[in-house]
Amino acid sequence: MTEHSMALDAPAARRSPRHPAIRALAVAAAVALAYWLPSWLGGSPLTYGFFVTLAIFSVMAVGVDIVLSYLGEVSLGHTIFWAIGGYSAAILSTSWDANGWITAATAVGLAVLAAAFLGWATLKTREFVFSLATYAAAVVAGEIAFNTDALGGSDGIVGIPALRLPLGFAEFSGRSNQELWPLALLLLVLSIYFVDRFRRSRLGTEALMVQMNPPLAIASGLDIRKVRFRVFVVSAPITALAGWLYGYQRAYVGPDMFDMYFLTLMLTAVIVVGRRVLLGPLIGVALILLQQNYFSIGGDGNKVVLGAVLAFVLIVWPQGLAGLARRIWRARAQPRS
Amino acid sequence: MNVAQQLVNGLVIGSGFACVALGWTILLGAARLVNFAHGQMYMLAAFICWFALTRWGLDFTAAAVVAVLAMGVLGILMQSAMSQLVVSQNLTSLMIVTLGFGYMIQGAAGLGFGGSPHALASPADKVQYQIGGIWFTGQDLIIVTVTLALYAGVWLLLNRTRQGAMVRAIAEDPKLAQIFGINTWLVYVAVFMLEAVLVAIAAVLVAPKTPILTSMGFEEVIMTFVVVVLGGVGNVGGALVAGLALGIFTAFFGALVSPAYTTAASFAVLLAFLTLRPEGFSFR
Amino acid sequence: MNVLDAADLTVRYGGSVALRDATLAVGAGRLVAVAGANGAGKSTLVNACAGWSRGHASIAGDVRLDGRSVARLAAYRRARLGIQCVPEGKNVFGELTVEENFALVPAVPREAGRHVFSREDVLGLFPRLHERRTHKGSALSGGERQMLAIGRALLAGPRILLLDEPSVGLAPRLIFDVLTVVRRLVDDGLAVLLVEQNVSAALDVADELYLIERGRIVGHGDAAAMRQDERIAQAYLGGLAEVEP
Ligand SMILES: Nc1ncnc2c1ncn2[C@@H]1O[C@H](COP(=O)(O)OP(=O)(O)OP(=O)(O)O)[C@@H](O)[C@H]1O
Ligand SMILES: [Mg+2]
Repeated sequence: MTEHSMALDAPAARRSPRHPAIRALAVAAAVALAYWLPSWLGGSPLTYGFFVTLAIFSVMAVGVDIVLSYLGEVSLGHTIFWAIGGYSAAILSTSWDANGWITAATAVGLAVLAAAFLGWATLKTREFVFSLATYAAAVVAGEIAFNTDALGGSDGIVGIPALRLPLGFAEFSGRSNQELWPLALLLLVLSIYFVDRFRRSRLGTEALMVQMNPPLAIASGLDIRKVRFRVFVVSAPITALAGWLYGYQRAYVGPDMFDMYFLTLMLTAVIVVGRRVLLGPLIGVALILLQQNYFSIGGDGNKVVLGAVLAFVLIVWPQGLAGLARRIWRARAQPRS
Repeated sequence: MNVAQQLVNGLVIGSGFACVALGWTILLGAARLVNFAHGQMYMLAAFICWFALTRWGLDFTAAAVVAVLAMGVLGILMQSAMSQLVVSQNLTSLMIVTLGFGYMIQGAAGLGFGGSPHALASPADKVQYQIGGIWFTGQDLIIVTVTLALYAGVWLLLNRTRQGAMVRAIAEDPKLAQIFGINTWLVYVAVFMLEAVLVAIAAVLVAPKTPILTSMGFEEVIMTFVVVVLGGVGNVGGALVAGLALGIFTAFFGALVSPAYTTAASFAVLLAFLTLRPEGFSFR
Repeated sequence: MNVLDAADLTVRYGGSVALRDATLAVGAGRLVAVAGANGAGKSTLVNACAGWSRGHASIAGDVRLDGRSVARLAAYRRARLGIQCVPEGKNVFGELTVEENFALVPAVPREAGRHVFSREDVLGLFPRLHERRTHKGSALSGGERQMLAIGRALLAGPRILLLDEPSVGLAPRLIFDVLTVVRRLVDDGLAVLLVEQNVSAALDVADELYLIERGRIVGHGDAAAMRQDERIAQAYLGGLAEVEP
C-alpha cells in the first residue's frame, strides 16, 4: 500500500469534537429510528426481510472491513468464517437441538480457531500471497463442504429450526424476519460499536501504523506479524456471527455460503464507500442490496454490476464515495488555491 | 493400480496445470500483478471456443484461434482499464480490481452462455493410443507437447530477446525503465495480452477433458497459485517442474485417496510449503 | 540555439515544493555544472528536465530540446528524443547482464543533433565493461556500474547528457577519469548537464555553473567567474583553500 495521503484521514483526526453525551443521544436516536424504520415502510415480511438481510450482510462486511481498512491487507478468506457461522447454527440446532447461545458460542470459537490456523499458516506472507492463500483456503473449504456428507454435502442442511435464545426470565425466538429484526439490528450496532472501539484501541492504532509505515512500526518495537495475526483473528468472529444469523434467517445452509457472491459483496461494500469509514460497510451493503432488490437485472446481470462497481470504484475513485465527497467538500471550501 | 498409467496421467494433468499457470507466472513476475480473473478468463476462453465450434460450425482449430484472439483483445482491454493502477504499482487495489473483473466475466458468461454444462468436443480427444498397456488420447499428447513448446518459447522470449529483457527490466525497476526509453505502459499491455492468450491456449487444450460450466475457474486459479508459489514467482522453469510434480501428486492422490479432495490436498502441500520455509516466501 | 532550455521549472512532492522557478540553458559543446548542498534540489532539477522522478513529483514549467518543447512528453519519449539522463543511485538493471543493459537501448534514428556512439566507441571509453559484459549489473562494482550507466546513455544517441553525481562513491582517481571522459565528449560537441558534489572538481572541467539553494537557483556564471564567487568560495572551496597552502 502506498496511499500515504490516507494517513491524513486517520480516524482520530476527524472525530467530531461534540460532547460525548450528545453523541450518545444522537446514536440512540439513530438506532431507535432504524428500529422503527421497517414498520414505517409498511412492515411487510418483504421489508423486514430486506432489513434483516441488510444488517446481516453489513456485519459480515465489518469483518472484512477491519482487515482491509485498518490492516491494509485483503482477506479473501472471510467466507470461511461466514460459512462456519452458518454451519455451526445448522448442524448443532438440527442434530442436537442446541439453542442459539450454544450455536453462537461454537461459531465464534470455531471461527477464532480457523482464523488462528489460517493466520498462523500465512504469517510469513504478505500482500498478494496472503490474499491468494486466504482465497485458496476459501475455495478449498467450499469444496470440502461440498464433498463431505457430514456437512450436508452438495445439498447442504435444510430445516434449521427457528432461533431460540433463552434469557432466563424469557426466551427470544426468531421465527420470522420481523422477530429477527431486533436481534439483527443489535448485532449490527454492536459490531459497529466494536469497530469504533477497535480503531481507537491499541491494536487498532498499531495496525494502522503497520499498514502506513512498516519501518516505523518496527522501529517503535512492534512485532508486525503479531499485530497482523491478532487483527485477522479479531475480525473472524464478527463475520461468523453474521453467518450464524444468516443460517437461522434462511433456515438452510449449504456450500453456497462459499460463493464468490459473498466475497465480492463484502469487498465492494467496503470499497464503494471508502476504507476507514465507520458506517462504510453498512452504507455499501445498503446500496448494493437496493440495486439487487429494486433495480435487479437478473442474477447474472447483477454479477456484472457488482463486479463492475468494484473495479470501477477502485480505478476511478480509489477513496470511494467518502473520498469523492471529501474532495467535493474541499473544492467547495477553498475554491482556488 | 497401474503405476505407469498413473504416471502418464499425472504428466498430462501436470502439463495442464503448468500450461494454465504460464501466463500468470509471467504476469506476476513482470508486473507484480495478481490476476484473480485468471480462472474466469480460462472459463470464458473455453466457452468462446465452444460457441464458435457449435454455433458457428467452425472446426476445432479455427474455433480455438477465435478464442485465443478474442482473449488477446480482452486482455488488452482489461489492462488498459487498469493501467493507472499498474503503472503506480498499487498492488492491493489491483488484486481487488481483477477480482471484480472475474466476477463480471462470470456474470457476462452466464448471460451469454447460460448456466448448463456443455462438452467442448475436441476431435483429438477421440483418438486413443495404447503403448505397452498405457492408454492416452491424442488430446493428452497435444497438451504435453504444446505445453513444453510454450515453455521453451516463453523461456527463449524472456531470456534471449530484447523484448524479454524489457520485461525483466520492468519487473526489476519500472521507473528506471522509463529512463531507458521503454514505454512501460505498452510492455504491461503486451504482458497482460500474453497472459490472456496463454490462458486461452491452455483452455482450448485442457477444457475438452471435462464438462465446461460458466461457474468453473476457481480450481484453475488455486492450482495456478500452487504451481507459481512452489516454482518460485516469475520463475518459468520452476513453474514447469512444479506443474508436472503437482500433476503426478494429484494423479496418485486421486487414485489412492480420493479424487474429490485433490485440490484440498494440493492446497495442504502449499500451506506446508509456506509455513515450513525458513524465511517464508518473499517476492524477490 | 541552446540544446536544452528549461524555463520556470517548479517541482512539487505532494504539498512541498522541491524546486521553484528554475530556469537554465545548456548549449552545444558546453559542460554545465549544478552545485548545491544536500537536499538543495539538484537531482530534482535534472530529473525534471528528463520528465522523471523516483517519487510522485508534479512538474510544471517548460523544457525545450533544440527549440522544441518536450514538457508534455513522458520520460520515455524524452529519452528517445535524446535527453539521456543518468540518475543518481540505482541507474542500471541488476538482474540484467551488461550486454542486456546495452541491448535495451532502442535504435537511434538518424537525425541532426544526435551524438551517435557505437558499442565499440563505448567499450573503447570504458574498457572495463568489455571484460564484464556477461556479468549481471548487480555483480558490478560501483564504478563499473557508473560506467555502464553512462555507457548506455551514450549508446542511446544523446542530444544532451544529464549526469547526476556520476562520481559519487568513486575513488578520486576514478572521478578524475570519469570527468575527463565527460570533458572529452563535450569537446566533441555534446551538451552535458552535470550535478557534482565535488564543486572544485566540477569547476575544473565545467564551462558554466549554476548554484542552487533550497530549491532556487541563486547563482549562475562562467566557471572562472563562479570560482571567484563569494558564496562558492565560502561554502565549497573555502575549507580547501585554507588547508592547502
Ligand atoms: N521522492 C521524493 N519524495 C518526496 N520528497 C522528495 C523526493 N525526492 C526528493 N525530495 C525532496 O526534494 C528536495 C530536493 O531533493 P534532491 O534529491 O533534489 O536534492 P539534491 O540536491 O539532489 O541532494 P543530494 O545532494 O543529497 O543528492 C529534498 O528536500 C527532498 O527531501
Ligand atoms: Mg541528488
